[in-house]
Amino acid sequence: MKRRSFLSLLLAVLGTTALGSFVYPLVRFLAPPEEKAKIKKVIVKKNDIPASEAKEILFGNTPAIIINRYGKGYIALSKVCTHLGCLVDYNKEKKKLICPCHAGVFSLEGHVESGPPPKPLSILPLKVEGEDIIIG
Amino acid sequence: MWKKIKKGIEIRIGLEELISNSLKKYRVPKDTNIFYTLGIITVVAYMIQAVTGYFLLLYYVPHSEHAFNSIQDIMNNAPFGWLIRMMHIVVSNLMVVIILLHIISLFVMGSYKKPRELTWLAGGCLLLVTLAFCLSGYLLPWSQRSYWATTIVTNMPTAFPVIGDFIAKGLRGGDYVSGITLTRFFAFHVAFLPPLFLLIVGLHIFLVTRIGLTTPPFNKSAEEEKPWTEYRHVSHPNSYPFYPNFLLKEVVMIMVFFAITFFVISFMPTLFIPEAANTPADPLKTPAYIKPEWYFLAPYQMLKLIPNKFFGISLQLILIGIFLLWPFFDKKEERNILKRPLLLVVFLLSILLWVILTVWGRYS
Repeated sequence: MKRRSFLSLLLAVLGTTALGSFVYPLVRFLAPPEEKAKIKKVIVKKNDIPASEAKEILFGNTPAIIINRYGKGYIALSKVCTHLGCLVDYNKEKKKLICPCHAGVFSLEGHVESGPPPKPLSILPLKVEGEDIIIG
Repeated sequence: MWKKIKKGIEIRIGLEELISNSLKKYRVPKDTNIFYTLGIITVVAYMIQAVTGYFLLLYYVPHSEHAFNSIQDIMNNAPFGWLIRMMHIVVSNLMVVIILLHIISLFVMGSYKKPRELTWLAGGCLLLVTLAFCLSGYLLPWSQRSYWATTIVTNMPTAFPVIGDFIAKGLRGGDYVSGITLTRFFAFHVAFLPPLFLLIVGLHIFLVTRIGLTTPPFNKSAEEEKPWTEYRHVSHPNSYPFYPNFLLKEVVMIMVFFAITFFVISFMPTLFIPEAANTPADPLKTPAYIKPEWYFLAPYQMLKLIPNKFFGISLQLILIGIFLLWPFFDKKEERNILKRPLLLVVFLLSILLWVILTVWGRYS
């Protein structure tokens, strides 16, 4: 290798390293630290949610909804639409969850029925113990 | 006294020669029309935004607990705060209108063709930076519209695997839009975007003056007809000096722009401020019938219609890419769009589609 080529290569390597040593901390600086969930367990009384009614809760940092489906029992779903992050609304008459932003429609099981959402709503772990509904 | 000062400056920096060279000797083709003044109106609009923005900073508090109230204070308690903020809002919208008209007129007149491809590219980037200004700006009032529009936009990168989540979190500073997002968008709006905008405007103006103005394609000058094999400044034999002839035309159009701005502020004050913009942000409730600003209605409706998120957002990015690089795709020398029926039809259909999507998005 000629001395001129070697020096050019050396300059390129050192330049890239120098640039990288600035870019890496900058990228890390922009990326936020992981948030720890504030609420790990939510307990709701069964009496608070009559049949076909729903109750909104905050689970972790996620807005969520518990629905008492007529004849099918309780289900807890994340309210965050899987399309672009708006919060779905429970429509009691239509028995659907509807996103007001881009008209995504979900069934009460969280499945996509129409509109642009790419996947179902997240189902949260739920169990019923006596008079309590426990999420988490 | 004044003459002495003037002479003192003249001796030291030769101001008269500078003015003569940059304003009087700079020639502008005689057949320029009012569309040639849209560039300077954009610069004036930007200056208005900068000045009103500085004044708003005196009262605005970029914190999620105080932002909304500080905006209400500006509107209701600060003397003439409403005027400063209304100018900021109305001019931001009119600026988008002016830039769109500028782009459309340049397209129709074929002004993007060789050797002006880079001028077009810089102009397209300016439109994108302006939209970034609008987007970062409308989170700042921390209203329902601000909050949910930002939620939608910052979720868009998640359509792309691997890096999508990282970009979305980087923009928001977390999993959801929060006070950290407000701080970040405030920093973009007042510190990151202005120098970027000025840099691109500087490049754009440099290219325009270095290459020279185009003539409308309907009666092309002999110089425009010459093949472009090496750099030359386009001088127009049939022309007049920039100062005072063309500058006067620009001043008249700037006055018209101000007249429109104050007409909207006086007679249509709620034109750009829907109800959701006057309700404080509630991260637990997306309002029904939330709509983005008018210039984002077409992409909004497109996202609604296309069932696949990745495809919908990718398509929009591809369209932006085609728009920015159009001069490199369209290599035909003919600048008169009337002599290119296919291009004319594609152009008219694109405008029609944009209008249909916008109206549909507004009323759907």
